[in-house]
Amino acid sequence: MTNSEADAGRHFTITKEFKKNKNMEDNNLQPEESLRLINGIINSAKNKLADDGFQFIFWGWLVIVCAMTHYISLKLNFEMGYMVWIILPPLGVIVSTIYGYKQGKKSNVKTYMDTYLGFLWGGFIIATIITLAFGFAHGIKATYFFLMILYGVATFITGGMLNFKPLIIGSLFSFALAGISVFLGNVDQFLCISAALLCSYVIPGHLLQSKFKQQAKNV
Amino acid sequence: MFKELDPILHSQLRLGVISLLISVKEAEFTYLKEETNSTAGNLSVQIQKLKEAGYIEIEKKFRDNYPHTICKITSAGIKAFEEYVKNIKQYLVK
Repeated sequence: MTNSEADAGRHFTITKEFKKNKNMEDNNLQPEESLRLINGIINSAKNKLADDGFQFIFWGWLVIVCAMTHYISLKLNFEMGYMVWIILPPLGVIVSTIYGYKQGKKSNVKTYMDTYLGFLWGGFIIATIITLAFGFAHGIKATYFFLMILYGVATFITGGMLNFKPLIIGSLFSFALAGISVFLGNVDQFLCISAALLCSYVIPGHLLQSKFKQQAKNV
Repeated sequence: MFKELDPILHSQLRLGVISLLISVKEAEFTYLKEETNSTAGNLSVQIQKLKEAGYIEIEKKFRDNYPHTICKITSAGIKAFEEYVKNIKQYLVK
């Protein structure tokens, strides 16, 4: 997720100043030109969208499918519904890792944003694994409550870093749904977590992807 | 009295490269070439000058049997860039 900036960067128009003065000789710059060049490049790098939304969409739908399959199986009194959690997420990890690796290989620039997002989501993954492994000691409600809080925190910070409001708004839904989930029964937790993922991952993920594609097209 | 502008940075391509490198953690030669719309030969010469001045670090790596040149700004480069911007502002405030 974090290594896709180069794809967008490749298409950016920070080369305007260079194109204009392509044959400009060294040390021939006017102070105004120097400052314009610096501003153009730095602002362009700052406004670049660093995420193509793939991981949000992929994990959002994957966990929704798991939660809803489990929910429906419980409603139909089919006891093996939980198996979906054992099968799909590990497959998801493989797909997600391959995608991330390929994106990283394609990328020819490493930004500070990539590093910060990498640490944020790395911390999120560790916290999620610990919550899933030990949270059930406190019951399914406590586990799902913490998961929704974790989704909210990670998307809230990512939204702020990318300056992308749908992620921030989505994260607020996740926080609110975590609060609501406390008043619901165990089975309804699946509906709650699906709604949280739809709001904080899937919808912002699709919006992020369309903005990213638009950005690449505008070059 | 106006301070003299750093001749290493007061060149369009070198200033562009430093401005790019100050905004990212590290960048490959191909990225710098694309973003500055420069030729490989010219860019090579200019980044070598920046390296000799101690403003950037150049690391050569191999990935899938292809050479990759990775450039990174140094703390001396950051300091020189900040100084350059400070000095250039004097000319504009005139």
